[in-house]
Amino acid sequence: MLSTVKGMIQTLSSTFRGLRGPVTKLYPENPTVVQNRFMGFPGLTWDKNVDEPFCTGCMVCIRNCPTQCMTATMKDNPKFADESSKRRKIVDEFEINLNRCILCGICVNVCNFDAIVMTHEHEESGISRDGSRMNLSGLLEIGGRYQTQTGWQPSSKD
Amino acid sequence: MMQDNSENQTIDMMLNMGPQHPSTHGVFRMELRIDGEKIIDVKPHIGYLHRGSEKLSEGEQYHQVVTLFDRMDYLANFNNELVYCMAVERLLDIEPSKRTEYIRVILCELNRIASHLLYVGTIGLDAGAMTPALFSFIGRDRIQTLFESISGARMMHNYFKIGGLKEEVPTDFVSMVKGIMPEIRQDIDQAEKLLTFNEIFLSRTKDIGVITADQAIDYGLTGPCLRGSGVNYDVRKSEPYSVYSDFEFDVPVGLDGDCWDRHWVRIKEMDESLKIVEQAINNLPDGDVESSLGRRLIRPSAGEVYVKAENPRGEIGVYIVSDGTDKPYRLKVRPPSFCNLSAIEPLLQDSWIADSVVILGSLDIVLGEVDR
Amino acid sequence: MIGRMLSYQLLCSDLDTGATVRFMSDYFQDAVSTLISLLTLFSFLAVMVLSLVWLERKALGRLQLRLGPTRTGPFGLLQPIADAVKLVLKEDIVPNDAERVIFWVAPIIVVISAFMLWVTIPFTPGIVVENLENMGLFYIGAVGVIGILGLVLAGWGSANKYGVIGGLRAAAQLISYEIPLIMVLISVAIVTQTFNLVDIVNLQSPVPFVLVLPLGFVLFFVAGLAEVGRTPFDIYFAESEIVGGPFVEYSGAHWAVFFLSEYINTFAIATLTVLLFLGGWSGPFLPSIVWLLIKIYAVILLIFWIRGTLPRLRIDQLMAFAWKVMVPLSFYLVVCCSVYVFYEMPWWALTVMSLFGLLAVGVIIYRYITAPARKVAEVRERLRSLQMTQEE
Repeated sequence: MLSTVKGMIQTLSSTFRGLRGPVTKLYPENPTVVQNRFMGFPGLTWDKNVDEPFCTGCMVCIRNCPTQCMTATMKDNPKFADESSKRRKIVDEFEINLNRCILCGICVNVCNFDAIVMTHEHEESGISRDGSRMNLSGLLEIGGRYQTQTGWQPSSKD
Repeated sequence: MMQDNSENQTIDMMLNMGPQHPSTHGVFRMELRIDGEKIIDVKPHIGYLHRGSEKLSEGEQYHQVVTLFDRMDYLANFNNELVYCMAVERLLDIEPSKRTEYIRVILCELNRIASHLLYVGTIGLDAGAMTPALFSFIGRDRIQTLFESISGARMMHNYFKIGGLKEEVPTDFVSMVKGIMPEIRQDIDQAEKLLTFNEIFLSRTKDIGVITADQAIDYGLTGPCLRGSGVNYDVRKSEPYSVYSDFEFDVPVGLDGDCWDRHWVRIKEMDESLKIVEQAINNLPDGDVESSLGRRLIRPSAGEVYVKAENPRGEIGVYIVSDGTDKPYRLKVRPPSFCNLSAIEPLLQDSWIADSVVILGSLDIVLGEVDR
Repeated sequence: MIGRMLSYQLLCSDLDTGATVRFMSDYFQDAVSTLISLLTLFSFLAVMVLSLVWLERKALGRLQLRLGPTRTGPFGLLQPIADAVKLVLKEDIVPNDAERVIFWVAPIIVVISAFMLWVTIPFTPGIVVENLENMGLFYIGAVGVIGILGLVLAGWGSANKYGVIGGLRAAAQLISYEIPLIMVLISVAIVTQTFNLVDIVNLQSPVPFVLVLPLGFVLFFVAGLAEVGRTPFDIYFAESEIVGGPFVEYSGAHWAVFFLSEYINTFAIATLTVLLFLGGWSGPFLPSIVWLLIKIYAVILLIFWIRGTLPRLRIDQLMAFAWKVMVPLSFYLVVCCSVYVFYEMPWWALTVMSLFGLLAVGVIIYRYITAPARKVAEVRERLRSLQMTQEE
């Protein structure tokens, strides 16, 4: 009996707390701020110095992906010919099926060129079945947004 | 007394509970044979969430298998990652650094609290009280936000690497953990105070679903379900792994082995986990968390290994056979939920329909782990 | 139909056609005015139910540190209307094996019984459809039971085992708790010497009956909670056990009807508690109808508060509570009231007797319900002694 009464008092006090300020927030108005390290969908980064993607299409991430959600092809880098870039090869096509991606971050860990990052994008709902297949331009777009938002810099491991 | 008059006989009713039932904790199915409100017999059916994690592991490289372990017991991801990483480390015969071990223990114990908090919510829902569930999620959310700021994900972290961690923890890790500790303590209080000693909850759980110590050992129960029956067995104490031997903590033990004892053991365990976190965060050693393997492909020599650890749900065991390639030849998991669930048949016999959900809730199964 | 038959009989038996016509016109006048007042009552109840739905969702939300409905209108005020529209527009699914007629009739029985209760409940001395002067309480006790039939039929007709279990649970629970409820009504009637609800309220003007019959108030409130299936007595549609019980196969408008009747019943129990024990519409300064609504909403908030706090009882514990605690105490209350009336004692004597009963119920509930708690204490004691021996 006593414990029940205690429980009633506790819920009463929580009601007053709830009236002052509930824990939950309205969603689209107050989106949850993601933490710095948040791993959203993967995106490709853009090398601003030479104005091309970091990615060379070396397929390391593709071989290490546990769900085989990406494909890529590489081509000869035209900028390597006129010596404005050090990259011999450059990515030609890159596609990630975000429906298959499990956001594990392995691709980021294994990449030797800092070409792929886990961006903060997480609201990628679409209305078509293949709506979440991201091609190169889409990946570069979300990667670029991540770069400007967080001031991402390539690490100096080379 | 019993007349063998076929006209007067009644037939028992088959009641199909699950897989789409709100209180079977996922897609578990029970075929109950009931006589009025009493359960005569129960036939559990599992496998609705079978994803073939063990078989899939055979096709993944060692560092990719961690992602599968994240998804097995999806309420205690860090604990699962830890046991797998320990198994491969033993296979490779390497030791992670002291700092790595401490951080792993801190995260695992926080994850244990998060898992038990969710349990408090679900047992409340099973018993018909809906407020504890919403209160307990406040604390769980706090812990998950901390995890997000450390590993980048709220549930599927993939943060423990074989031989180390994916990356160094953020610089304000210590202050963050110290900051949320008192808040978590409050949240635990708030969530469990509505239930633990509430008279109606007591009458719903005390002396319900009793399993004796001998029976519990026979059925292979582990974790809070075993300790609720009064058996003082905790892998962290009996065979300390990682750095658990460095910490002072008690193992709470129940007496009767009923639903309430299992509940009480979990509540007390949260306090002990907080104690461990406090000790670990105060003595956090400096050092490197990078794996000594670097980025090399993991290729253990041929052999086999069995490693066990204490998950929030009980003792998890991982058995790996390596044939010297970069993928495990065979991987077998001894899931605590599955073994705990095996006791459902004697537990449910001669109980009420209403008790069946409470008993199932007190076993605290995770179907992702039962079916793998 | 009945009217036509009646008039035909009258025509046959009595050749005085003028009298018949007069009778007919009176009859129709009466019927029209009753119809109008019934429609008013129905729309009033609909508004009340909508407000209750909103209040429950919002109050429970704040109790659980949530926001509650926010999207529909200011403070989510239009949420119940959105709910209603959604429910009406939804497909009304009838299971293949269902007994169609029973399946369709059951919600109607439930809602009509819930609605019929309101015919005689007065809001103020003036505002009432038909104040049954000599049998108001009797009528309430009689009509309130019909709803059980609807629930059992709903459970049986939907060809679902959860439904059957729920229906039978409903029958057991509601019939058991009907007895203390009616016994309390009887004891109030004994004290006031009337079945007229308006008189009962008027008699409470110096001292509300909650002070005279505290035991009666507690019994009525608890039995009322069980009657409308509110936590901790929401056994017959327990979501975590039998997934909605009798309502499990219902959807769309039919489910909405059940929902409506549930809230009408909640509102009725709260209103009756106020009328019988909390002084009804009497109160200073404000108009009487406002006082009544304030008191009703206070009782309803109490019901929601209990719902937000307590777990659910089990069916055997529920039945034991009804037959071992509630029924004997309600009989005790009746005896107390009879003694009080027979010997013409002062009103506080009844309070004392009633309080004594309340004390008894407190002790019984305490002993009964804390048996596990005492066991826990014992267990802790044993644990402590174990630890002591270990340390030694």
